[in-house]
Amino acid sequence: MSLTAGSRPDGTRPPAAVEEPTAAVGAAVAKARVPRKTSKVSKAGKVPFRVRLRRDRALILMTLPVILLLLLFNYVPLLGNVVAFQDYDPYISSNGVTAIFHSPWVGVEQFSRMVDDPLFWGAAKNTVLLFALQLVLFFPIPIALALLINSVIRPRVRAVAQAIMYLPHFFSWVLVVTVFQQIFGGAGIIAQTLEDHGWTGFDLMTNASLFKYLVTAQAVWKDAGWGIIVFLAALAAVSTDLYEAAAMDGAGRWRRMWHVTLPALRPVIALLLVLRVGDALSVGFEQFLLQRDAVGVGASEVLDTYVWNMGIQNGDFSYAAAVGLVKGAIGICLVLGANKFAHLLGEQGVYQK
Amino acid sequence: MSLNTQLVRSLKAPARPVWEEPPSKAGITAKSGFLALCCLGVLGPLWIVIVTSLSPKPVIDRVGGLVVIPQGITFVNYTELLSGGQVSRAIMVSVGVTLTGTVFSMAVSVLAAYGLSRPGSLGHRLFLVIMMATMFFGAGLIPTYLLVQSLGLTDTYLSLILPSAVSVFNILVLRAFFMGISPELTESARIDGAGDLRILLTIIMPLSRAVLAVISLFYAVGYWSAWFNASIYLSDQDMMPLQNVLIQLVQKNTANPTGLQQAVRTGQLSALGLQMAVMVLALIPVAVASPFVQRHFKKGMLTGAVKG
Amino acid sequence: MTPNAASASSGPSRRSFLASTAVATAAVAGGMPLLAACGGSDSGEREGTTSGKAADKLLPAFVASTVANPDLPSKNGSASGYTGKVDLAALKTSVPEKLGTGAPIKIMSPFWGSPPKAGCAYYKALDAAAGTKITWQNQDGNTYGQKLGAVLASSSIPDMVVVPSWELVGKISNAVTAKFMDLGPYLAGDKVKKYPNLAAIPSDAWRMGIFGGALRGIPMPAATANWIAPLYRKDVFDKKGYSVPKSADEFMSWAKEATSAKAKVWACGDMTWSAWSFFGVRGSGSIGWDIGSDGKLTYRIEQPEYLEALEWVRKLYDAGVVHPDDKARSGDPGQRFTAGQTLVWCTNIADWYGKVSEQAQSNPDLVIDAMDLFGADGGNPKLYASSPATIWSLIRKGASKTTVENALAAADFSAAPYGTKERMLVDYGVEGTHYTVKDGVPVKNDLGNSEVLNAWVMLAAPAAYYAHPDFPEVARKQVEWQQRMGAFMKKTSTFGMNIVEPTRWANLSSQFEQLEIDYVRGNRKLSDVQAAISTWKSSGGDKLRDWYKELIDKNGSAN
Repeated sequence: MSLTAGSRPDGTRPPAAVEEPTAAVGAAVAKARVPRKTSKVSKAGKVPFRVRLRRDRALILMTLPVILLLLLFNYVPLLGNVVAFQDYDPYISSNGVTAIFHSPWVGVEQFSRMVDDPLFWGAAKNTVLLFALQLVLFFPIPIALALLINSVIRPRVRAVAQAIMYLPHFFSWVLVVTVFQQIFGGAGIIAQTLEDHGWTGFDLMTNASLFKYLVTAQAVWKDAGWGIIVFLAALAAVSTDLYEAAAMDGAGRWRRMWHVTLPALRPVIALLLVLRVGDALSVGFEQFLLQRDAVGVGASEVLDTYVWNMGIQNGDFSYAAAVGLVKGAIGICLVLGANKFAHLLGEQGVYQK
Repeated sequence: MSLNTQLVRSLKAPARPVWEEPPSKAGITAKSGFLALCCLGVLGPLWIVIVTSLSPKPVIDRVGGLVVIPQGITFVNYTELLSGGQVSRAIMVSVGVTLTGTVFSMAVSVLAAYGLSRPGSLGHRLFLVIMMATMFFGAGLIPTYLLVQSLGLTDTYLSLILPSAVSVFNILVLRAFFMGISPELTESARIDGAGDLRILLTIIMPLSRAVLAVISLFYAVGYWSAWFNASIYLSDQDMMPLQNVLIQLVQKNTANPTGLQQAVRTGQLSALGLQMAVMVLALIPVAVASPFVQRHFKKGMLTGAVKG
Repeated sequence: MTPNAASASSGPSRRSFLASTAVATAAVAGGMPLLAACGGSDSGEREGTTSGKAADKLLPAFVASTVANPDLPSKNGSASGYTGKVDLAALKTSVPEKLGTGAPIKIMSPFWGSPPKAGCAYYKALDAAAGTKITWQNQDGNTYGQKLGAVLASSSIPDMVVVPSWELVGKISNAVTAKFMDLGPYLAGDKVKKYPNLAAIPSDAWRMGIFGGALRGIPMPAATANWIAPLYRKDVFDKKGYSVPKSADEFMSWAKEATSAKAKVWACGDMTWSAWSFFGVRGSGSIGWDIGSDGKLTYRIEQPEYLEALEWVRKLYDAGVVHPDDKARSGDPGQRFTAGQTLVWCTNIADWYGKVSEQAQSNPDLVIDAMDLFGADGGNPKLYASSPATIWSLIRKGASKTTVENALAAADFSAAPYGTKERMLVDYGVEGTHYTVKDGVPVKNDLGNSEVLNAWVMLAAPAAYYAHPDFPEVARKQVEWQQRMGAFMKKTSTFGMNIVEPTRWANLSSQFEQLEIDYVRGNRKLSDVQAAISTWKSSGGDKLRDWYKELIDKNGSAN
C-alpha cells in the first residue's frame, strides 16, 4: 500500500506513508508529523520554479477566486487604513478617497493619543482578563459536550440533544441579556423568590466584580452548544474500526477516548485554539455594549467597545483606524506565536513551518 | 426527500457494536442527567420567550416584562408579523440570497481549501498569509462602502453576497479536514491519471461530507442572519431581506415606545411580545437545518470507505 | 448577528432622548397625530445680539400663518395646542397651487419602523397634491449615522437629505457645510413668500439652520420649553394618598415610602434627566455654555449644581428606590411604568399621550400626569431653554434649480399647519383609503397604519403644537405644563445659535455622558467625576472657553 519515491512525475517524494495503518484512516491521527517532513524534502529538493508551477497550477487556479475576492473586498479598502496617520476628514474633498490626499498628516499622533489614554489601557486589561477567562472556562466546554454527545448511542437522543443545544446561538445578545436580567436581575425571578424568604438585595446583573464571570456564563450558554458542531464533524470521520481495534487490544471506555477519540480531535482543537488566541483581542462586542451601563465602563469596556465608542460614536475615523491597526498587529503576533507553540507540541496549527 | 427515511431509520433501535461493553447504570444516569440539565438550561429561557410571544398584551403589560407563567394565549403577534406580504417577500429575498450565497461561498471555499491543502505546493504559504491577514485587519466602513459603490454593487443583491462571500476561518477548517484525509487515497487516483479537480470531486468531497455540511451551515447561517450590509448598501425597501424587515417591524429605537410599528401603536399588541415572536421566528431555520446536518454526523460513517 | 442587534447601538441616552423627538414627531399613535415636542414660537426675541442682524439677512422673512388658530396659543416657549375635533369640511388650504413641477428628486431620511413600498397610495397621493415626484430612500433610523457618514463621503449624495442633530458628531458637522447648498438665493428675505408654510416657521428655528455662514437647513421646529417631564401614575398616587413631592428631599422620602421590592414596586426609573431641571443644570452641547451673573463663561459641568444633581440621583440609586432594570438599563422603562412597577418615569412629554392611548383599552384605570419641576430646595426651578430646532433637511450642493424648487415644494407641503388639508394628508393620508373620521376623531385603517408613517413629516414641520382629537385633555395638559415650566425658563448666552465647535475639541465632552451613567449607579467615585472635569479643563476645555468667549463677544450674547 505504501507509495514509493518517484511515483510523482516531478520526482518529489510524496508525503511519507503514515506509520500505523490504523491512523491512515481518515482522521489524521498522526498527520502532524507528515507535512513537516514533506516541506523539508521539497525545500531540500530545490525543484525549479517552473516545474513547481506546472505541477501546482491546478491548485493555484483553484485558490485564485478566493484570493481575488479577498484582494478586492478586503485589501483595497484596507488601504484606507493609512488614515491612521492622518487627521482624516472624509468630507473635506469631493469624495472619501480624494479626501485622503487633502487631510493633514499627523504621523503617529493617533497612536500616542492611544498610549496616553487610560481608558484604552483599562479596555486592554479587561480584554486580556476576559480572554484568559474564556479560554479556560469556555473553550473546553464544546469539546467536552461533543465527546459526551458522541458517546450517546441512541440516534434520537443525540439528535434531540444536539438540536436543543444549538438553539441559543440563534438568540440575539439583546435577548440573552434580557432573559438573564429577568432571571438574575434585581427584579428577576431569583431576587423575587429570595425576597419572599426575607433575603433582600440580590442583583447579579449590576455587580461589577462578578461581571467577568457573568459574561463568560452568558457566552457559554449562548455559544457552547453551537461550538460542538465542528468537533462532531471531526468525530464523524473516525472509523469504528479504530475503536474496534482498540477494544480488541483490551482498551476500556476511557482509554479508547484517550487513544482514539481525542487524537482524532487534536488537529481541529489545535487549529481552533490557534485562531482563538489570534483573536484574543476580540472578546465580544454587542454583549458588552448592552451591559456597560449596568456595571460601568471600568468593568465592561473592552477594546471593541472602546473603538466603537471613540471611532464610530464620535466619528473619529483616524483614531479608530489606529487602534484597529494595533489590534491587528497584535493579533498577527499572537497567531504566529500560538502556531509556533502548536508546532512545538507536534501539531500542525494553521500552516506548517 | 430522504429526510423521512432518515427519520425512520433513526427511530430504529440502535445497534451497539459487539465490542463495546454495556455501560454501567451509574454512567448512564450521570450522562443522561447531565444532558437533561444542559437541555433544561436552554429550554427554560426558551419557554419564557415562547410564552411571552404568545401572551396577550394585557398580560405582558401587567407583568411588566417577560412572562414566565402563561395566562392566556394568542397568536396575534405571529399573524401580525406574517401578514401584509412584506415578510413573505422578504423571506423570498433571504432564501434566494442564502442559497445563492452559500453555493457561491462553498464553491470558492472548497476550491481554495483544496488548493491549499497539499503540503509544499507553490505559493500556498503566500496565499495563506494573504488570507490570514484579513482575519486581523479590518477596513473601515467608509472605504468599504466607497468600493462597493464604485463597483456599482449598491442597490444590488450582489452587495449582500460578494463582500462577505469568503470566510477565512471556514476555509481553514475545511483545509484542516482535507489535509486529514490520507494522501494515499489521492495518490493512487493520481497514478490512475486523475486531475486535481476530479480528485477533489470524487475522493475528497465524498469523504468530507460532515465538514462540508457544517461549513455550508456556517455560511448559510451567516447569510441568513446578516442585516448590516443590507442596511448600508440597499436603499430600496422592496429589496430588504428578512432580518432587516423584522428589525424594522419591532424596532425600538428610543425611550419612546410610541415609535414602534403600527400594530403596537393601535394599542392591540405589545412591543415585547412582538420582539419575542421575532426571536422564535429566527429559530425556525435551525429547526429546518438541524436534521439535514445531523445525518452527516453518524458515528463511524466512514467505515470501510477509507481502509488503508 | 441576529435581529434586534440594531437596538444595541441606540447609544447614550442623550442620543436616544433626542431621537425620541423624531420618533414622537413621526409616530401616529392610535391613529392620532403625535406631533409633539417640536415647536418654538416666540420668534425674534433675542436681545442685544449684533449677530442677530448679520444672521437676519440670511433668514427668510417671517409671515405668520393665519389659516387655523390654536385653542391654546404658545406661551413661554411652549407648543401650542388644538383641543377641538376634526371637521373635514372646514379644513383650510395652505398651499393654493402646486409648487412642484414633477421633476424627479431623491430624498434620504431616517425611518423608524417598516417603510412602505415605493409607489404606494400614500406616496402617490402626496406627490400628486404637492406636484412632486419623490423617490424615497428610507434608511433604518438606528444605523442612519453610519449610512449618512458613508453616503456623505461618496460622490453621489441624494438630492435632499434629512440630518438629525444627534448624528452631527465629529466631522459630520463640517460635512454639512461642505456638501449642502446655500438656500439663501431661494429663501432669504421675501423670497420665502413663495412657500407660505416655510415662511411661517419661526425665525428662531430658521436661525438654527445656518451652517457655515449660510442658510442650509430647513428646520423641524422644536419647543424651547422643557420637553422632558417626570410623568407619574396619578391613579396610584391618589389611591395610596401620596402627595406630589415639591423638593429633592421630599422626593427622596416619598420614594423610600413608595418602594417595596417585595411587592415589585419601585418609586422611579432613572431620574438623571429630571435632576438636571431640579438643580438647574444646563443642557449639553453648545447650549450648555452661559455667562453667569459674575460675568464668567462656564460650561454645564463646571456648574456646582452639576455635581449636586448627580449626587442626589446617586442617593436614589443607593437607597434602592430605582427599579433594578433601570439600574441595569435593560428592558422597556415605559412598560414598567404602565405595569405599575415604577411610579415616576422621566421621559419625553410626548409619551404621555402615547401611553394613554396605548393603554386606553387594556388598562382604563391608568391616569398619568406630569409632575411640576421643582427647585431642589423647594423653591422655583431654574430652567433653561432648549434648542429651537434639532432636525434639518438639506439639499445637496450642485442640485439644479428645478431640483431645489421641487425639494422646497415638498418641504413647504410638509410644513402645513394643523387644521389644513395638507396637514391632514401628510398625517393621515387619503380619507377613505387611509382613514375615516368618526365624531371628529380620525382613525387610520390598516393601510393607513402601514403606509402613513414617518417619511413626509421629516422634511419640515410647522411651529410645534399638540393635537389629540381622541384625548384632547392630554393635549391641553401637555401645553399647560410646558407653559407653567416655561415661566421659569431663561435662555443661555448661546441660545438659538447653531454652533459648530472646532473638530479638535469635538469629542472633548463626549465622555461625560457615560461618566454620569456610571457615577449615579455607583460604578464611579465622585472624585472620578471631579478629576474628569479638571482634565476636561486642562486638555482643551479652557481653550474652548476662549473660543466661545470670542464667539459670544463677536455675535453678542443671546440672554
